[in-house]
Amino acid sequence: MRSTDRVLQIDPQRKDEKDGMNVLSPVELDTWCTCAETFSRTGLSPKQKTATQKIVASWSRSAVLHITGARRCVCVHGAESSGLVSESEGCEDVVLTESCLTLSFTHTVQCWSLHRNGRALVWSGELNTTEKTGNALPLPLVPGGYIASKPPFFRPLSTQLQAASLALGTEHAVLLTASGTVYTWGHGSHGQLGHGTLVSEDEPRAVEALWGVPMKSVAAGGWHSACIGVGGDLYVWGWNESGQIGLPSKGLREESQKDKERIEADKKENEDTSDVIISIQALPALVDVSEASEIKKVSCGSRHTAAITSTGDLYTWGWGLYGQLGHGSRCSSDEPKIVEFFSSGKMSVEDVTCGLWNTFVAAVPKHRVPL
Amino acid sequence: MAHVWRDVMALLPANETDFPLVFGEVVEPSVLVMLELNRKELYASSNSFCTEKAQVIIDYSWEKLNTGTWRDVDKEWRRVYSYGCLFKAVGTCQGESSRDKVQDAIKICDMGLLMGASIMDNILQRLIAFLKNKAMIPNKVVDIEQPCPKKLRKECILKPIINPGLSVQRVRCPALESFRSEFLEPKIPVILEGIIDHWPAFREHTWSIEYLQAVAGCRTVPVELGSRYTDEEWSQKLLTVNEFIDRYILGQREAATGYLAQHQLFDQVPELKEDIRIPDYCCLGEGDEDNITINAWFGPGGTISPLHQDPEENFLAQVVGSKYIRLYSTEESENLYPHQSELLYNTSQVDVENPDVVQFPDFLKASYQECVLEPGEVLFIPRQHWHYVRSLELSFSVSFWWS
Repeated sequence: MRSTDRVLQIDPQRKDEKDGMNVLSPVELDTWCTCAETFSRTGLSPKQKTATQKIVASWSRSAVLHITGARRCVCVHGAESSGLVSESEGCEDVVLTESCLTLSFTHTVQCWSLHRNGRALVWSGELNTTEKTGNALPLPLVPGGYIASKPPFFRPLSTQLQAASLALGTEHAVLLTASGTVYTWGHGSHGQLGHGTLVSEDEPRAVEALWGVPMKSVAAGGWHSACIGVGGDLYVWGWNESGQIGLPSKGLREESQKDKERIEADKKENEDTSDVIISIQALPALVDVSEASEIKKVSCGSRHTAAITSTGDLYTWGWGLYGQLGHGSRCSSDEPKIVEFFSSGKMSVEDVTCGLWNTFVAAVPKHRVPL
Repeated sequence: MAHVWRDVMALLPANETDFPLVFGEVVEPSVLVMLELNRKELYASSNSFCTEKAQVIIDYSWEKLNTGTWRDVDKEWRRVYSYGCLFKAVGTCQGESSRDKVQDAIKICDMGLLMGASIMDNILQRLIAFLKNKAMIPNKVVDIEQPCPKKLRKECILKPIINPGLSVQRVRCPALESFRSEFLEPKIPVILEGIIDHWPAFREHTWSIEYLQAVAGCRTVPVELGSRYTDEEWSQKLLTVNEFIDRYILGQREAATGYLAQHQLFDQVPELKEDIRIPDYCCLGEGDEDNITINAWFGPGGTISPLHQDPEENFLAQVVGSKYIRLYSTEESENLYPHQSELLYNTSQVDVENPDVVQFPDFLKASYQECVLEPGEVLFIPRQHWHYVRSLELSFSVSFWWS
């Protein structure tokens, strides 16, 4: 997530102190995150502006990578404790899961387990870097492999793949190569690998359905995956349990059917069942988010998906019970819906990151968007 | 009914400190924090308990239950799920009680029993037993406009004519040793007569729709929709036994066939387990009684289990109604065209009673045995023996898988 003026979040784990409700609409993060100030105060030049470089989130926590001048540091927010991670001083990249905080430095990678009263180093490894620049790859990629949040922490990848970026789902991995090819492996029971089957794969396997269409970014959710073509097309595949694929979902249709029945109890049941229902999409599906514009960025939560268009609009779909869609309600949606908070607030969304059940975005006022 | 909450709390430990929340390392500290928050709020007398945090526990552990294959899911997550259900069920009983609330609470407990693991001396089962008594949910009154059409049809069901040369042999109460040497070891199917006549299900608790409604009507069970599990449109749905009976057994509104199939109902509803007995012949197996899987198969006429094989010895006991059954030995496997997929490799692609002989020409070469299993009869299906089952009328069977 790039440095921007405003960082907003939609995060169910964080309760508004006043009424204890879940956050159903975006809320400005700076009102809660005061650790950035603490960080700059401890620094040598208190006047230096602290910027947010990156936000990552798990189920109950979020981690923010701050930069003040040449200094970099991570702070972790969670229900039990919040604050600076002193050991993160100088770190270059960060990944957070519910059990593990991964930090990469110029020459090493560290995995910290998060406990109620602090943290413990559970694994660390030297980076096999020849360049002075250190780890040029974004986490969880490291030279020669990637870092998982469970043992074995380091898992090798063939250098022939020329990995450019990697997204880890709950039990599967989606890799983008330098040439724009997508590889997937891991558990496949919900179609999340995109090979057209429900079979698991031990080794990276190219997603054949996407061959010939170079991709520019990949994302992985709990049981679904997404990628964006160089032309701005969005492809999604995997489990559609809550509509996270953006195709008609059985659960959601039944839910709305139930509501209907309650109102008109006499009306005959199963009238709508002629609709095509997708429970598992085992091959990449082109999802029409917005007719007018291309997709710039996509991120997947456990059971929801968020995408930004080139016009700076944020669309979300999938599971919404904890407010993760930002539509001001707890409703799930099996079709992409614009988040009006930004579009009607004349804000342009620059970046988006989904945690398990939450969504973080960076947005700027629309008139300041450089042309 | 106003005191339901107080009585429900009386089933729980008296103090917060006596309420155990101990889990293995796989359960992350943040989840434990949420569990403890639930416990704290439950015992806080000033505040009213909110089920929202219980839902968080249910949703989070549900995701864990759906991660990886079911048998590899850590039991700790199933325990966490049960705790979530316990908190939510107790919370649901709060305030002015109504029949709907109590039914909801029972449903939540059943979800914990179906997907979770036993916690706190089987508290969910005890909670259901209490709620069922307390609420006194009456038997569903049969809709007068629907004069039990399935029952009427019962009188004129068409039973297939069994070719005497192919029929499964019948034996009355064989001795253990002769069953072993004549059927179990040579893997020969046989119908055992007279071995379940003493079941309460045939006597003081004669199984009927009314009896099931009274004993288990409010319980939530998985129901298979679609006439066979290999069908494209086949699906599963959770319904209460009352809903299942009203819609799929008595009612005719539903287009799909509903089948309460392969469900361990007797673990879920102990009252029903008392109506059956494990056949003595199961002691010929090597496992002890805990390793015997007892499944219920309850549905209208027309339910079909496609031709398939199971990895254990099977006693299929017929309690209500009759079923047509076709059996093929494992030697015929190559003529039966098993599915290629990992999931269905134990199931034949052939529609047994209406085979596509162009697609599956060798199927007709396969020799088989057949029978109509009547109430009181028990069919022994040897391990790996292929079997096809179609109910001819309203039917309730109990299967015992043993090794």
